[in-house]
Amino acid sequence: MAKKTETNQNQITRRDFLKTSAVVGGSLAIASGVSAAFKKMAGLDGRMSGALAAGEYPLNKAENTIYSVCLQCHTGCTIKGKILDGVLVKIDGNPYSPMNMLPHLSYDTPLAEAARVDAKLCPKGQAGVQSLYDPYRITKVLKRAGKRGENKWEVISFEQAINEIVNGGTFADGSKPPGLKEIWAVQDPDLMAALKADGMAVASGDMTLDEFKAKHADHLDLLIDPDHPDLGPRNNQFVFQAGRIEHGRKEFAKRWLKDAFGSVNWYEHTTICEQSHHIATIQVTNQYKGNGSWGGGKEHLKPDFANAEMVIFFGTGAFEANFGPTPMSELVTWSMSYRNMKIAVVDPRLSKTAAKAKWWLPVKPGEDAALALAMGRWIIENERYDAAYLENANKAAASADNETSWTGATWLVEIKNGQPSRLLRPSTAGLTADDGGELDGFVVSQGGKLVFVDPNDAENPVKGDLFAEGAVNGVRYKTAFQLYKEETMAHTLEEWSEICGIPVRKIEEVASEFTSHGKRVGVDFYRGPVQHTNGYYNATAIIMLNVLVGVAGWTGGIGAGGGHWHEDGSKAKGPFNIVKGMHPGKLGSYGVTLTREKWHYEKSTLFQRDGYPAKRPWFPYTGNVYQEIIPSAAAGYPYPIKALFLHKGTPGFSAPAGNPTLAAIADPDVIPLVIADDIVIGETSMYADYLFPDTAIWERWGTPHITPAVQAKTSKIRQPMIDPLPEKVTVFGEEQPVSMEAVMLAIAEKLGLPGYGVNGFGDAADFKTRQDYFLRMAANLAFGDKEDGSEAVPEADDDEMRIFREARSHLSGVVFDEERWKAVIGDESLWRRVVYLLNRGGRFEDFSKVYKGEKLAHPYKGPFNIFVDNVAAGIHSLTGEHFYGLPTHEPVKDAGGQELAQDEKKYPFRLFTFKHIYGGQSRTVGNYWSQLGVAKENYVLMNKADADRLGLEDGDLVKLVSASNPKGVWDIPNRGKKTVAGKIKVIQGIRPGTVAASWSFGHWAYGASDVVIDGDVVKGDARRATGICPNVVMYEDPVLKNATLTDPIGGSASFYDTLVDVVRA
Amino acid sequence: MPYVPAVMEMENAIIRMMDDVQRALQKPPSERRWGMVIDLTKCVACDACTVSCKAEKKTPPGVNYTVVIKEEVGTYPNVRAVFLPRPCMQCENPPCVDVCPVGATWKNEEGIVVIDYDVCIGCRYCVTACPYGARNFDFGEWYTENTPMLEPYETAPTFEYGEERVRSEGVSPIGNVRKCNFCIERLREGLLPACINDCIGRARYFGDLNDPDSLVSEMLRERYSFRLKEDLGTNPKVFYLS
Repeated sequence: MAKKTETNQNQITRRDFLKTSAVVGGSLAIASGVSAAFKKMAGLDGRMSGALAAGEYPLNKAENTIYSVCLQCHTGCTIKGKILDGVLVKIDGNPYSPMNMLPHLSYDTPLAEAARVDAKLCPKGQAGVQSLYDPYRITKVLKRAGKRGENKWEVISFEQAINEIVNGGTFADGSKPPGLKEIWAVQDPDLMAALKADGMAVASGDMTLDEFKAKHADHLDLLIDPDHPDLGPRNNQFVFQAGRIEHGRKEFAKRWLKDAFGSVNWYEHTTICEQSHHIATIQVTNQYKGNGSWGGGKEHLKPDFANAEMVIFFGTGAFEANFGPTPMSELVTWSMSYRNMKIAVVDPRLSKTAAKAKWWLPVKPGEDAALALAMGRWIIENERYDAAYLENANKAAASADNETSWTGATWLVEIKNGQPSRLLRPSTAGLTADDGGELDGFVVSQGGKLVFVDPNDAENPVKGDLFAEGAVNGVRYKTAFQLYKEETMAHTLEEWSEICGIPVRKIEEVASEFTSHGKRVGVDFYRGPVQHTNGYYNATAIIMLNVLVGVAGWTGGIGAGGGHWHEDGSKAKGPFNIVKGMHPGKLGSYGVTLTREKWHYEKSTLFQRDGYPAKRPWFPYTGNVYQEIIPSAAAGYPYPIKALFLHKGTPGFSAPAGNPTLAAIADPDVIPLVIADDIVIGETSMYADYLFPDTAIWERWGTPHITPAVQAKTSKIRQPMIDPLPEKVTVFGEEQPVSMEAVMLAIAEKLGLPGYGVNGFGDAADFKTRQDYFLRMAANLAFGDKEDGSEAVPEADDDEMRIFREARSHLSGVVFDEERWKAVIGDESLWRRVVYLLNRGGRFEDFSKVYKGEKLAHPYKGPFNIFVDNVAAGIHSLTGEHFYGLPTHEPVKDAGGQELAQDEKKYPFRLFTFKHIYGGQSRTVGNYWSQLGVAKENYVLMNKADADRLGLEDGDLVKLVSASNPKGVWDIPNRGKKTVAGKIKVIQGIRPGTVAASWSFGHWAYGASDVVIDGDVVKGDARRATGICPNVVMYEDPVLKNATLTDPIGGSASFYDTLVDVVRA
Repeated sequence: MPYVPAVMEMENAIIRMMDDVQRALQKPPSERRWGMVIDLTKCVACDACTVSCKAEKKTPPGVNYTVVIKEEVGTYPNVRAVFLPRPCMQCENPPCVDVCPVGATWKNEEGIVVIDYDVCIGCRYCVTACPYGARNFDFGEWYTENTPMLEPYETAPTFEYGEERVRSEGVSPIGNVRKCNFCIERLREGLLPACINDCIGRARYFGDLNDPDSLVSEMLRERYSFRLKEDLGTNPKVFYLS
């Protein structure tokens, strides 16, 4: 034990590099530090002391094991951490979890046994050790000492930072940003509610502005703009922008910003990931809720890889990226090897999955809809669709047909001016209830007779004609399926083939195979088809393939995954209902979001003022429009902002067309206060005024949800595996590591935000530390979703309690304090159940429960909307025209809705990106084993035919240029310019006429260059500066001018629509 | 008969192989013949094996006990890729052994080619002699040297050959030749080599080739297999399925 203390102290001292000039000087100082450390160890007996007796292998002991959850990518695999002397030395997969083992261990397997079983984990997850122990991690609070982005910092105390952020600070360059106390305008929940009700009434025309101003005369100064009360209070001028954040932290941060501070502007990064895939899936699976409203759609549907006989991947694969390689790979390789599952991969690059596929379809980037519609055409013409399934117009018809899903194929759509407009309503068709009352639902044709259908009716089956058209009461109609058919018939197969670049023969072959296996097929898609301006339409065209064969809910078909127990306590009214209750004095928030997301333009006073076109797009169907946050603030539309909290995000680096974003965040006149938390000083966090160290993934808590690729019900729990490296500070009288949570708690304490500190969760329930929050989450998971507690996990017995303690004996009292933890839970029995859960890293349904014969145990139950009425109801805020309700083929468009003019002669290559298995987008460059050890750098990939024509060879240095960045440069404020240059790699496995670069490289910060702290230079690592990040040559929108192109429905940023030229650098 | 998905009857390969190892450990060492089977149809070239090995053994830059060789074959659009994991072949007739002037490397009675770091003089004859490039010299580099901090994952102890060692300047294994030892220290505990556990495509298998009931024996019986450079007569114990 003595040794342990020594190591911890040693660690803290060595971690102190930001303050210790001795280790700032470079290699010499480091080398001597090393040998001194070793001599110290050698001074004992040449070995580490204590439990590690000679010859003993200590890494398979439960007492040296803590289970947690990775986040090197969003898959968030369950992991097993092996800890020696307080150091996390190896990370493997968790054998209790279906993500890591096939089949996974029974949940009641003793800890000692499971500790001996190492389960699989991808290289990126394993290299988490190196993200945790990244030599460039920051451990103390930094305040900008030069201009923003100059990377000159001073170390200040946490208390000083919080004080200045709340009350206002001053900077060497003379800037004096406002404190949060000036921005926290509305503080009274009743006033917030009243302003909201009346502000919305003004927007809807139910109250005049004069009436509003008279009623709220005393509070107009609290609003952003008294002439536009629907923009909300000045609280909204504080914006939270997260890169990677997930359940647990997500709700923690929303409670703080939205419910306590009263700002609506909470964002994460999804639109630079794959948001249009979510949005399309949600819209297609939304249920009709009556009165014209829709909801409850699923974000994901994934093939059941373990049982499918044929799978098509569109713009994704099973072995890299996606959601994700660790759980998916073995399902696919096993199925291909032992069950002869066939796969097709649609990707302009020969990905590792395409390399194993029977069919590689190197589509032209962005033309996925053309390919999907071509397949749809073939399937319809050859009558290979499941007609009986598609005819099921409601839930009852589906049930009668042994199906869990039904479709809107037969629902009738009104045709206006030759165009589909909206679903035909019973009232329009002259249909009424037996009592003459109004019917709420839709209409189908049965042999020409129009019949009412309630899609959610579980009692009265309704089927309809798949193909029908006609007129009723002067209104023309067609079935949704008829309209879909017409979309597929917009071009001949030959024409579609020409558009998408895939030969007719291959389209036919794949469509034929896809329709030759009954219910055991599925289409998977992710980022590739959707990060385009036409992303939503590409996505709906792809989803239709799954609908045509009717495979939802079937073993071997597609499903929404096994789901999870509810950590927020909302479902079971379990021990702690954190999300829906336990917030005394909750302030709430309202107003138009900075990105105009989840908002119809027509329902705003800005529409009353400006009409069409809106100054910037509004996004009624999507959220988290990441690429639009800072550009909107820069444009001051719909309003300027005062402060930005950047959490684990790097919008200037990872969103396309980043130059204007970097310029904006560097300018204190645009964003007066920027605070950030990060584990390393990154490309965007280097522009912060105050930069806080965050806890790394392996040092913190979280309750991320399970990927839909896993069919077993699973709840994961992230928990600290080691003592966090960031310094410890005191908040609400309790010592805790600096982290996102500590910053929020400290600001809450300083400002007096409601719902924190003593009784922060209500009577006798304090909210002073992160563990006060997450332990309650863990308790909800341990309790389960059944109100009577019958679903609770077992109690840990005394031996499990011993192992629990011993496995955490290296943690300081700040991180682990059994009595403190137990007190949060309150109840001995529940506490032991929490320990049982923590001892296994979550809870996992038994493998035997995943399938019920021909059906998934957790099938998707709901509709597939072929004509998406909810989207067709919406209006493009710049053109003033309705969105389109059907899958369709659409060209690249700008924010104004105009087809983008592109010069293919001047810029002959379509640029795209991909993610290799070794790296994340921006945070894995310190992974020396994998990203830098195996991949080393990235390249501009080019087909040999193109390279030969241009006279380029492997290793030639080239730069990329585009119409909106003709010089091909990153313009990095207060740092200089950086050419978008990389080495050519000449390959065969890429579509001619395209070029590609992987993510994860091209850094100029994140340890890649020098920073100055308290006057001392911390040298950057040249290995971390290799390769190319092509984002900045991606198109700027010609209408918006300071942001990238965006899908107006799904919100996805356009990554793959840009034409570039490749020139020698 | 109700439909039972094939996956429901699937055997947990890791548990099966751990059982195989346990069974082998009951026998005298000389009766074991450890071998590896790599199913190339299932290798997804992720390098989880590479990294698992590096993390387990804390190998420095330039020392890799196992790698995955990736090659593209064909001409667009008829292109495929070949992925070939390459650990030490643990040859029955290892060319590396005979060239060692000090007897620091030999094939042990279980058939694993081992190195005694305390005897090895670092002459590197064996590196040249190995036809598979499976041996590397430890030059004493560190991943995090010349950064603000030499990180604890590099200086943590390892347990290679059952010996707890902390890598440091002037001390073995720095200055020695290093290679895959089938994780002999894990085998001793009834565990599998680390690369087997972490394989996400379930392409790597391990067990006792002398045991007809082991999974690896079963696979070699049922599938066509080959070994690398068989013509050299090295008689490797790493088998590939294709």
